[in-house]
Amino acid sequence: MKKSSSIAIAFAVVLGLGAGLAQAGAPKRNSDIRIGFAGMTLNNEFHITLANGAKAKARELGVNIDVQAGDQHASAAAQLVIIENFLSNAVDGLIIVPSASEGLETALRKSKEQGVPVVNADTLINRDVAASAGLPNIPFYGTNNFEGAKLAGQFVAGKFPKGTKTAILTGIEGHQNAADRRNGFIEGAGDAIQVVAEQTANWEVDQGYTAAQNIISANPDLELVFASNDNMGIGALRAIQEAGLKDRIGIVGFDAVSEALNLVESGEFLCTVAQFPSKMGEIAVENLVKAIKGEPYADYVDTGCRVITKDNVQEHKDYLSQYVD
Amino acid sequence: MSSKAVIGEDRAVGNRRPAWGDMTLYLGAVGIVIAFSLVCLFFGRNFLTLRNIQNIVTQSSIIAVIAIGSSLVILTGGIDLSVGSVVGLVGMFAGALLKSGVPLWAACISALGVGALTGLVNGYLVSVGKVPSFIVTLGIMQIARGLALLTTLGKPISRFPDGLGLIMNAKVAGDMPTSVLYVFSLYFLMMFVMSLTRFGRHVYAFGGNPNAARLSGVRVRRVEMAVYVLSGLFAAAGGIMLLSRLSYADPNAGGGYEMHAIAAAVIGGISLSGGRGRIGNTLVGALILGSLTCGLQILNVPTYCQTIVTGVVIIAAVYADKAGERRAE
Repeated sequence: MKKSSSIAIAFAVVLGLGAGLAQAGAPKRNSDIRIGFAGMTLNNEFHITLANGAKAKARELGVNIDVQAGDQHASAAAQLVIIENFLSNAVDGLIIVPSASEGLETALRKSKEQGVPVVNADTLINRDVAASAGLPNIPFYGTNNFEGAKLAGQFVAGKFPKGTKTAILTGIEGHQNAADRRNGFIEGAGDAIQVVAEQTANWEVDQGYTAAQNIISANPDLELVFASNDNMGIGALRAIQEAGLKDRIGIVGFDAVSEALNLVESGEFLCTVAQFPSKMGEIAVENLVKAIKGEPYADYVDTGCRVITKDNVQEHKDYLSQYVD
Repeated sequence: MSSKAVIGEDRAVGNRRPAWGDMTLYLGAVGIVIAFSLVCLFFGRNFLTLRNIQNIVTQSSIIAVIAIGSSLVILTGGIDLSVGSVVGLVGMFAGALLKSGVPLWAACISALGVGALTGLVNGYLVSVGKVPSFIVTLGIMQIARGLALLTTLGKPISRFPDGLGLIMNAKVAGDMPTSVLYVFSLYFLMMFVMSLTRFGRHVYAFGGNPNAARLSGVRVRRVEMAVYVLSGLFAAAGGIMLLSRLSYADPNAGGGYEMHAIAAAVIGGISLSGGRGRIGNTLVGALILGSLTCGLQILNVPTYCQTIVTGVVIIAAVYADKAGERRAE
């Protein structure tokens, strides 16, 4: 009984395989296309919004999309597993939001071997790594972090006098985004700021809190904090409130997470910088479908940044609410 | 001399779990595969293909190899939480050596040396120092992670020479991934060691009852220390495999692997109280975990639900294994 049923299953599986192969040669209709979306994580709003943008676009175009992400943040190994499973189940194209910009050489090599087109969203895949995997021209749809931080710097330059005593909280040492945001802010702000302290808080709320405590006690005349992401800014805000300096020290964040938007609304954050993750997802799906069908597609789209202040925060909230599941 | 042999034999017999426990494990594994095959078929996707089977073995191979060491430690009644960090440390260490022009074989041997050394520190502190293994390995877990980050001040290393990738990404005997070869040969070796050598019997004897083992002449410190050294070695082997598979060294690599390895061991029926369980079943445990990940991803089950399913399976496996005990009460 058991034996015969397992033979039946094996038989059915082989049939299924045959059916899959038979389809491969035919020209692709949208409803035949299946896209694999390999996300960095689905543990935070930004990446959820990105994935939801991609899903919305796939729905609109009538293509199928599988969305998977590692359960741990920034695990190249987990992402390789996801991409292998996509490839063995014959997806027609891949959208990759890399967990680490240099970490996907093997995954890219396997995609190339199978001839599956790849597009890249949000975090740029390291060009040298992509080239060693044989895919030197992966299209990229995302934000330029340097330009985004520069906008925040320019906003500060327009609001503060020369030599404003500023502390910078940076992201993880070695992350390209961390360096770009720091450098962009400094360039945008120009001589409006005088950097009196600079510390990494590894993108985390609690580390932003302790770093800010230390910076405040070393620099009691501090006037401004640039946090390279909102999390660290939220930590810094708590330290500043505890020190009773809320009215004297301004905070500039980056990422426009929902808590930061609330803080901009209440005036506790001066501003934050919004990216448009849903737009990245939409553009990635749109161009990948074109690539699968052999139509011309865009190699690069800067999805843009925007400084969010009290004046436009409501507008941005409305935009985000479209992409909540 | 003869008394040693006797107690060893005794324990070796004692480790033979009732066939019932093994049966539930194997049936469970087969059941999962059949269930996935049917559900995948229903949704027009393929699970039981050669390619997927290769994927599952390759994807499980690193945890499977690390879990050999974790199982040995658990058999002595201890736990090794440091293996995930050792994977990260070994990857960075070997990666840095390779980047500075050291040949692949030398980098691999040095990496195994690093693993053995961390194991030796763990083993010494547990067996001679009498510090509980949970605490020792928790500390070494932090230290190894710190050292991994210190190697390059947190920067990952990429773009290695092609030879590195061949360790994991080459094919043998036609189309078989090399990982299959590593996993099966290491498991066969350790199954042999555990059931047919004196060392194996002593591990069971010590895990079953440390005092009785000591009184009957087992050199308990040496056995316990050896087990941690082996755990470090298998973790290092896992670290080299991961480095090769990704061609990428990340100081945070291997985070959480200690838990996956422990999960593989307990699903395989290795008792956390020591002295009971078969090493070969740990491989079944690792493959069950790998099939779950692969199957759930093929079915496009949301990531959040995947971790829930994994948790349920871990508990269900041990629950089913304990059915005999429950009945006895």
